[in-house]
Amino acid sequence: MAKGVALGYISLLVLIPLAALLTNAFNHGLGAFWSAATGTESLDALRLTVTCSLLAAIFNAVAGTATAFVLVRDNFWGKAMLNTIIDLPFALPTVVAGVTFYTLYGPLSPFHVNITGSWVGITVAIMFVTLPFSVRSVQPVLESLSLDAEAAASTLGASPFHVFRTITLPAILPALLTGTGLAFARALGEYGSVVFISNNLPYRSEVASSYVYSLVSSGQVSSAASVAFVLLSCALVVLIASNVIARRLARRRG
Amino acid sequence: MKRPSLALRCLVLLYVAALLGVPLVFVFQQAFSHGWAALWAALHDHAMDEAILLTAKVVVLAVPLNVFFGIGASLWIVRHPSRISHVLDVLIDIPLAISPIVVGLILELAYAQNGWFGSTFSKLGWKVMFSLPGIVVASIFVSLPLVSRQVIPLLREIGDHQEQTAATLGAKPTRIFFTITLRSIAWACAYGVTLTLARVIGEYGAVLIVSGNIAMLTQTLTLNIGANFENFNGYQGFVGALLLALVSVLVLVVIGVARHRLERKRHDSFA
Repeated sequence: MAKGVALGYISLLVLIPLAALLTNAFNHGLGAFWSAATGTESLDALRLTVTCSLLAAIFNAVAGTATAFVLVRDNFWGKAMLNTIIDLPFALPTVVAGVTFYTLYGPLSPFHVNITGSWVGITVAIMFVTLPFSVRSVQPVLESLSLDAEAAASTLGASPFHVFRTITLPAILPALLTGTGLAFARALGEYGSVVFISNNLPYRSEVASSYVYSLVSSGQVSSAASVAFVLLSCALVVLIASNVIARRLARRRG
Repeated sequence: MKRPSLALRCLVLLYVAALLGVPLVFVFQQAFSHGWAALWAALHDHAMDEAILLTAKVVVLAVPLNVFFGIGASLWIVRHPSRISHVLDVLIDIPLAISPIVVGLILELAYAQNGWFGSTFSKLGWKVMFSLPGIVVASIFVSLPLVSRQVIPLLREIGDHQEQTAATLGAKPTRIFFTITLRSIAWACAYGVTLTLARVIGEYGAVLIVSGNIAMLTQTLTLNIGANFENFNGYQGFVGALLLALVSVLVLVVIGVARHRLERKRHDSFA
């Protein structure tokens, strides 16, 4: 009985709407799907989204690993607060981040920096939203990592960078990859934080989710479903690929 | 590298301060920029107050439903694994991979007037899209996995020895659930509930499509902030943003405490 309720809940919520997406994307045939998904505006939006998401995910992978290092191995006044504020992007609504970034770095910027309508602004907004992912995936692995091997290596004369590259990095790499994959997938669909700073100029600064929204508002539901299908497939491929590679890396280490 | 250098610490602090600290402080600065009297007046903006009320209604309806579902599904997946529960385990995480805009779109495709179930629903007199039920469904969708992702790993870790012992001694399933299972997953639940709450209050893209975004009627607080901002009423927008920022600071504190407790529990169970 309870199991039936759970299955009904998930079918009504996830399965049936996903099936509706599939049929709407393909109900005018493969040709219509293909022309909607690969139109110039769609391709430009998808390319911009993937580029900015990848940039932000890579930057956050590096900066997030550094942050996790400082949180686990360093000790200073205010560290607990740093550890708490890392989760801010999970707690602060995306629209608040969106309007704040637009006001901070838009035409009325108090710093006289205007990055609206460009890939820079979009990437900054995505960096904000995806900041916690790599930190929170690397942090627990670092905590459970024994310091013996690192100490031995440095006693034998290895430089700190060499120790990091040959001992620490291989240990955290699977977790880092999973976290970066999650961040990348999240970034691909991001809307609220990006839509204000991007200015939504078609062919120039319109991200994929924003293009889907404009199609929905102008009543082109089938085209919207086609682009949405491509976007969703990209996110799923990223998630599955990063998980598979991470699992393989972890297994090779034994 | 036993302890990171001072330079790395400063770089990290700079990065977090620039990306997270500056925007958070800026929201407060903007909301207080016109003084207390203006802030007090802006807090009594009629459209914003209606929006706050609607967001509160959505929270009251969506969060408990997802918490019940999250705990129930976790118990099923971990304690009674079967082929169907594996499928559920995969399905439950899908919302994390879907863009909020796409969530709104697919709910519309399934449940709007001209969608799959639109005609059936309108015959029954139900209006799902562009009204409260649609907003609740969208909020449930985007926050679906947040409880189970916290509870499932913990349930796996603690095992079921205590539950089995209690059952052998004759305890009824409900008693076992409340005295043993629920007590051991309490902090994971608190963590998941808080994340769910934050996500439901903060959802923008999915609700934007599903609600129709009509002021005083189907506008949640996040939509109200966006609308004020687009209508060149940035100050009013930042007053709404201030309220949400205050909520998010509270959320951060609860998340911090819950994570600390969970880590301690993990250490204890290994010791």
